Amino acid sequence: MGNEASHQAIVGQQFGQRANAYLTSQVHAEGGDLDELVRLAAGHRPASALDLGCGGGHVAYRLASLVGEMHASDLSEAMVATVSAEAKRRGLDNVIAERAAVERLPYADRTFDMVVTRYSAHHWHDFSAGLSQARRVLKPDGLAVFIDVVSPGNPLLDTWFQTLELLRDPSHVYNRSEAEWREAVETAGFRPDGVSHFKLRLDFASWIGRMRTPDAHVAAIRSLQALAAREVVEHFQFEADGSFTIDSMLLVARPA
Amino acid sequence: MTDRTPGIDPKLLEILVCPLTKGPLSYDAEHQELISEKAQLAYPIRDGIPIMLPGEARPLGDAATVS
Repeated sequence: MGNEASHQAIVGQQFGQRANAYLTSQVHAEGGDLDELVRLAAGHRPASALDLGCGGGHVAYRLASLVGEMHASDLSEAMVATVSAEAKRRGLDNVIAERAAVERLPYADRTFDMVVTRYSAHHWHDFSAGLSQARRVLKPDGLAVFIDVVSPGNPLLDTWFQTLELLRDPSHVYNRSEAEWREAVETAGFRPDGVSHFKLRLDFASWIGRMRTPDAHVAAIRSLQALAAREVVEHFQFEADGSFTIDSMLLVARPA
Repeated sequence: MTDRTPGIDPKLLEILVCPLTKGPLSYDAEHQELISEKAQLAYPIRDGIPIMLPGEARPLGDAATVS
């Protein structure tokens, strides 16, 4: 049993088939974290910026007007093609797409004034290698912005969160807590310099729709939700239709 | 629009390196490839997008298959 394909291949399959769903996803196209990111970029005015794991390209579209060159990289061929086409459609000529793995970035040392990653790191096969590469390609006076969903940091709630994520998406790797993020970022040679927290409501139908979650897994998620203890229900604010709310974080870091 | 894609931006060549060796790349306009001499790999450029994955690269020495 199982799948002969590597994790990298599964990520490619999962996202390749769903590129357009991420392009049109409201959760991904909007949010207080994106507004905060735009504010940070406006203050920093980077000549060149990189978005790691660009997905549907929403970071690139929002930052393009504030940046000299906006590089968008992703493992998935379909995502990169989608972002390249959408940037052209929007007239954003400074968006440059490349296909790359975060663990082995194809950029020279100290290339970018700003490195961003949003809702991608929980898919990375080698998280610490990805962060080290982000540090390597960032200029010494550069700005790194890490945005991702975060785990509550409580074992019961963590297990619930990872389980819901894996049932929904077999390419899911791991959601870290804020403490785990800070430690990893510092180990990679960054100095954390501010954090903002956000709540993210996941509409159940679109959450599973984006990933084409198999019916058996949808049923398992709904069954688990029906059996959840009060503190789990309260934390994730489970709703009648399965929708729930999670935490996300925007962590600003600079080279240490 | 045609399938024919223009060459890549020279500025891009300045910042792109081989993901394996972090060494420089040279641009083969005819075959639309980025060549890493050190790694002996040719990274394809498809529809103007560099594919910087070693698993997708052509080992140098193998004939370029242009169809």
